[in-house]
Amino acid sequence: MAGSVIVITSGKGGVGKTTTSANIGTALGNLGNKVVLIDTDIGLRNLDLLLGLENRIVYTIVDVVEERCKLKQALVKDKKNPNLCLLAAAQTRDKSAVDADQLRDICEQLKEEFDYVLVDCPAGIEQGFQNAVAGANEAIVVTTPEMSAIRDADRIIGLLESKEGVEKYRLLINRVRPKLIKSNDMMSVEDVIDILSCDLIGVIPEDMNIITSTNKGEPVVNDEKSLAGAAYINVARRIMGEDVPLLDIDEPTTLIEKIKKFFAKKA
Amino acid sequence: MRENEFFVVDLVSCKLTGEIINSLSLALETLKHTGKKIVLKLSNIYLNQSQLLSIQSLITSYGCTLDTVETSNTETAAIVNNMNIQVKQVDESSQTLSTFEPFDINSEHKTEPINQDTIALKDVNGLHFEADLDAIQKQQDNINISSDLREAGISRSQDFADIEKQFAPDFTKFTADIPKEDPVKFNIPSSVDIDEPSMRNSFEEITEEEFNKNSMGIYKKAYDEDKIQEEQWDEVDFYETPTTDPVIFDTKETTYINQTLRSGQILESEGNVVIIGDCHPGSEIKAVGDITVWGVLSGIAHAGCKGNINARIRALKMNAVQLRIANCYSRRPDGTNIPYIIRSSIFTPEEARAIDGEIMLFKINQN
Repeated sequence: MAGSVIVITSGKGGVGKTTTSANIGTALGNLGNKVVLIDTDIGLRNLDLLLGLENRIVYTIVDVVEERCKLKQALVKDKKNPNLCLLAAAQTRDKSAVDADQLRDICEQLKEEFDYVLVDCPAGIEQGFQNAVAGANEAIVVTTPEMSAIRDADRIIGLLESKEGVEKYRLLINRVRPKLIKSNDMMSVEDVIDILSCDLIGVIPEDMNIITSTNKGEPVVNDEKSLAGAAYINVARRIMGEDVPLLDIDEPTTLIEKIKKFFAKKA
Repeated sequence: MRENEFFVVDLVSCKLTGEIINSLSLALETLKHTGKKIVLKLSNIYLNQSQLLSIQSLITSYGCTLDTVETSNTETAAIVNNMNIQVKQVDESSQTLSTFEPFDINSEHKTEPINQDTIALKDVNGLHFEADLDAIQKQQDNINISSDLREAGISRSQDFADIEKQFAPDFTKFTADIPKEDPVKFNIPSSVDIDEPSMRNSFEEITEEEFNKNSMGIYKKAYDEDKIQEEQWDEVDFYETPTTDPVIFDTKETTYINQTLRSGQILESEGNVVIIGDCHPGSEIKAVGDITVWGVLSGIAHAGCKGNINARIRALKMNAVQLRIANCYSRRPDGTNIPYIIRSSIFTPEEARAIDGEIMLFKINQN
């Protein structure tokens, strides 16, 4: 049975596409799936850094496309999990080095061997986006509870709907700060869903550990204490088809309630 | 108290008697206290006894005494000697040194009295001053001015080191700059020397013990430890087959870059590459010959990319993501890329060589 190709996209930059890709990929791998991550951000690659595989890259996706190596040679295996592979982007080229058909071919080939092919999409709606979406049959739209990110996500959803291959798209709300939602300074998860009218796949709280994990090259899902890591694992389980209750969304609320209870006791 | 207060009045630049009188009176007027001992520096100008007497009386009229006269003119020296005044006869060429820092009579700090404390301090520093004089001598030997300079210079430094240092604060700085202009002084071995086949042979004769002692080996270690990746490396075949044919690189052109190589930039050369600057992560250097980075190498470096296994990679600080020499490949061990250490000022110049199909790092000063 062929695996599924999931593109992780957002339109706006800096909302956490690459972090999401690295963490969902690692989580799916840890859950026993064969996963390959494709970085399509040619010229501005970062996924290798987040996975800590920077020093292992010999061949890139451009080498594969230009037939300087076999596809298998270009796959970099993860340090810990042999089920997880990375197909890195070239840093010394730009988006025009690869076209949509070539990426579709690569996705088709990888689909045969891997359960999940996660495509990390670059920001924007130009060539890079068109390439990344080409081979995908599923999409995860990453957004943050800010108007600018939501507007861009809306645009992206529109583009995804017009694509033939993409059967399913789901929304992932990143960098949610329960405290700000409580004080009405941030849009709540419900508000975002209302605006975009889109299925939800998960809510990731803002987490300081993300910054340290990025610098260390170790995805946050490997950190058991991290709240964001736990949220990403739940997202991965939903991708696998498990029916994980809306625990993620409630989680921040319960946290606040816990704190409230804590202070109530004190008082 | 009076013995401790010397003043040097440098009149070497004065070529006429009138100038001397004028400058001297100006210098004396700037003194606020009387009872100073004056050290007069003259050029090789000839002064007769009446002229010298008038100078002496001028100094006395300001409440000071003429203690020493420094001159390169033998006749003047003889007359001064007859007047029961100390005389220092200096060599003409060494006296020209003091023209590097001509006495500025209008400058406040130069007429400051030297007290006992500062003299004691300067005595300690006198050694440095002598060393500097040696440097000047060597430099002057090169331009064939004087052979007696060493004697004259040392006697000068012994007697006047303290005073001169006080009055010419920029003197050492100035002399320190001289050798830089003189290429003979610095015999830096060029990279071409290292590339000579004879030198290469000497590298190959290193015994295993020495080899283990000298090599940093961190890149090799990472290669050994990596079990997961091994199967993958078998499939990685590099661009060209290696050759051990000696390649003389000094006949090849050298690409010389004086800028920082940034992420995404790629530098390819048919010869050697010299980069004055850092190579940031994400940059790539490919050279048929050697690669030398005068800075931090953090990108990918591929020396001998047409198959020359003897090619070398050198950097002031080796932080390369990957090092490749001909068909050899090595990568940085995990967890050693701490971006913060790149900024530190400690440099450990290292050289990467391919030995038995593995890339080893050597400290350059251990060659």
